[in-house]
Amino acid sequence: MTIERIDNELCNGCGICVNSCPTDVIRMDKENKKAIIKYPDDCMLCLICVVDCPTKAITVTPEKTSPLMVSWG
Amino acid sequence: MSKEHVVETDVLVIGGGLAGCFAAIKAKEQGVDVTLVDKGYVSKSGSSIWPHTYSVFNPEWGHKLDDWMDHINTGGEYLNNRVWTEIIFKESYARYQDLVSYGVEFRKDENGKLYRWKMAPQRACESLEFHIVAGERRAKSLILRKQALKSGVKIMDRIMITDLLQQDGRVIGVVGFSIDSGDLYIFKAKATVISAGAAAFKPSGWPISELTGDGMAMAYRANAELLGCEFIDTHNTWAENPAYGFPAIMRASPGRLLNAEGEELKLYPGRLRSYSLNVEFEAHAGRLPLIWEVDADSKVAGLKDRRLPVVGGSVGGMAVHTAEGIWPINTKCGTTLPGLYAAGDSCGTRQVCAVYSGVGFAFAGASVTGTRAGLSAAEYASQTEKPTIDEKDLARLKKVTLEPFERKGGFSPKWVIQVLQNILFPYYILYIKHGDRLKATLTLVEFLKDHLVPKLIAKDLHELRLAHETKNMVLNAEMRLRSSLFRTESRGCHYREDYPRRDDPNWLAWVKLKEEKGKMKLWKEPIPNEWWPDLSKPYEERYPVRFPGE
Ligand SMILES: Cc1cc2nc3c(=O)[nH]c(=O)nc-3n(C[C@H](O)[C@H](O)[C@H](O)COP(=O)(O)OP(=O)(O)OC[C@H]3O[C@@H](n4cnc5c(N)ncnc54)[C@H](O)[C@@H]3O)c2cc1C
Repeated sequence: MTIERIDNELCNGCGICVNSCPTDVIRMDKENKKAIIKYPDDCMLCLICVVDCPTKAITVTPEKTSPLMVSWG
Repeated sequence: MSKEHVVETDVLVIGGGLAGCFAAIKAKEQGVDVTLVDKGYVSKSGSSIWPHTYSVFNPEWGHKLDDWMDHINTGGEYLNNRVWTEIIFKESYARYQDLVSYGVEFRKDENGKLYRWKMAPQRACESLEFHIVAGERRAKSLILRKQALKSGVKIMDRIMITDLLQQDGRVIGVVGFSIDSGDLYIFKAKATVISAGAAAFKPSGWPISELTGDGMAMAYRANAELLGCEFIDTHNTWAENPAYGFPAIMRASPGRLLNAEGEELKLYPGRLRSYSLNVEFEAHAGRLPLIWEVDADSKVAGLKDRRLPVVGGSVGGMAVHTAEGIWPINTKCGTTLPGLYAAGDSCGTRQVCAVYSGVGFAFAGASVTGTRAGLSAAEYASQTEKPTIDEKDLARLKKVTLEPFERKGGFSPKWVIQVLQNILFPYYILYIKHGDRLKATLTLVEFLKDHLVPKLIAKDLHELRLAHETKNMVLNAEMRLRSSLFRTESRGCHYREDYPRRDDPNWLAWVKLKEEKGKMKLWKEPIPNEWWPDLSKPYEERYPVRFPGE
């Protein structure tokens, strides 16, 4: 799946990835002060967060699956 | 929603890609107040982080204007706007020098000389390159942000602009909201520049999901004229992991494109593989899968000897860059609305037009129109009074902005986007077009517009942004379908199975549109006669590229 993991140990809470993401997938967890994957469905695999992360904490994989189509939602 | 902020500025720039950064920097240099706002983060969001080519015309390098113009005019099948094509060529060198002075590095060859390459052996045009190394890509993007800040531009990130404020037709600012705090933002501006990028539908195979045509949609709602929505971009992606298309293509390597019968698909003369509809034609003829056979001597790691399945339509219906956009009424990037300017991908300069006839023009064009829009907006701002906001208009737009948040029941943007994509993405809608299918699709898209969009709900601020993007995408889909139906001929990337020939001189014309009494009105705007191809020449000579069925 797309953006797969932000390693909690490696994440230094700098917040760069939050700004790097053009589609607002990543947000800061206010309590832990760590980046979290909040809206993974909107990841477009652009890898900008991976490139920008100073501690290499983010993993993005090439696969992306789309949700099942339902009659309304 | 918590607070409400009013921001006053002389010039407001919406969207901080290359065009927006240039507009802001150049306007600021004129001594006016400039605010640059982006729904993402200025210089991270938008197409501008991706290009690795930038086309520069320079007579001192032996370039001849006539050759370059001829390349675009014939390659773009005569519908490019020659006034703009020429301006962009002539000003590209000055903008290149600006970029260098800001600190952008262009690729050098092994002897330390600027690396220049010809787009096709028989063609005149050349392009320069940035390094395609990811780290340098990041550096390039931040350079423009830093330059804007250094010039004194006020940058406001992560604020989604929803609509334009008007006073007797003049654009006097915008309304938007912060995707972090939910605060409402009212920008009062003497002049406004829209540089909000391209109009796409969150495609599966290209990193442009944030480019939902918001700029074009808000201009349309404010009654601006737009044009050119029928020419669709034809990039491909890999079928294995289509969403990973762009990173994969960046690692792509020379090779050959084969259809299921093992035939090599020949490139159209002077065009690159991904710049024509031949992949879609093969699909339509049932000769799938298509395979990109990487050359055996490929030096790209992991790709050697690989046979990569290819699929078309990776941009999912985005237009050829600048073929569509807000209509610039003059060479100053002014629009049909006083106080509103357009630049970059949002501005329909039609510098290349019906098909991509080369690379590097879009990026060069964004810097040129950005500069012109910034200078014009600054000039207008210094000559006009501070606007006063019409409270009724403001109240209406505030309501529109917050509606999906306040609505109790309805449809999620996620689902409506999925429905829209399922309707639009199959190759036989926007690539291999037919009047019957376009009409059927339009009926469905109109239903989305009339029935689903007014019932969009957002459960948080992320979804509020998505709800507005969805509304804009549905409107942009309608523009594409109506324009495609209206042009009853084939040309460039616009192929109509039911009208498979170019129709000269009847369709030596642009398709324009605007809102009139709540309906989308389209009309034909002929191009100047002196831009026509030589009609005494046989059709096959005017148009060396054949369409199936013509
Ligand atoms: C993968 C890829 C490769 C490319 N390669 C090349 C190339 O090699 N050569 C070339 O010439 N061209 C290339 N292009 C095209 C080129 O990138 C664009 O033409 C150019 O960057 C457009 O710049 P822009 O400033 O107009 O828009 P963008 O850079 O797209 O910026 C638009 C900005 O507007 C913001 N925005 C949008 N809506 C709103 C809103 N409602 N509120 C606030 N902000 C908003 C976005 O967040 C974004 O930051 C490529 C494009 C892509 C996607």
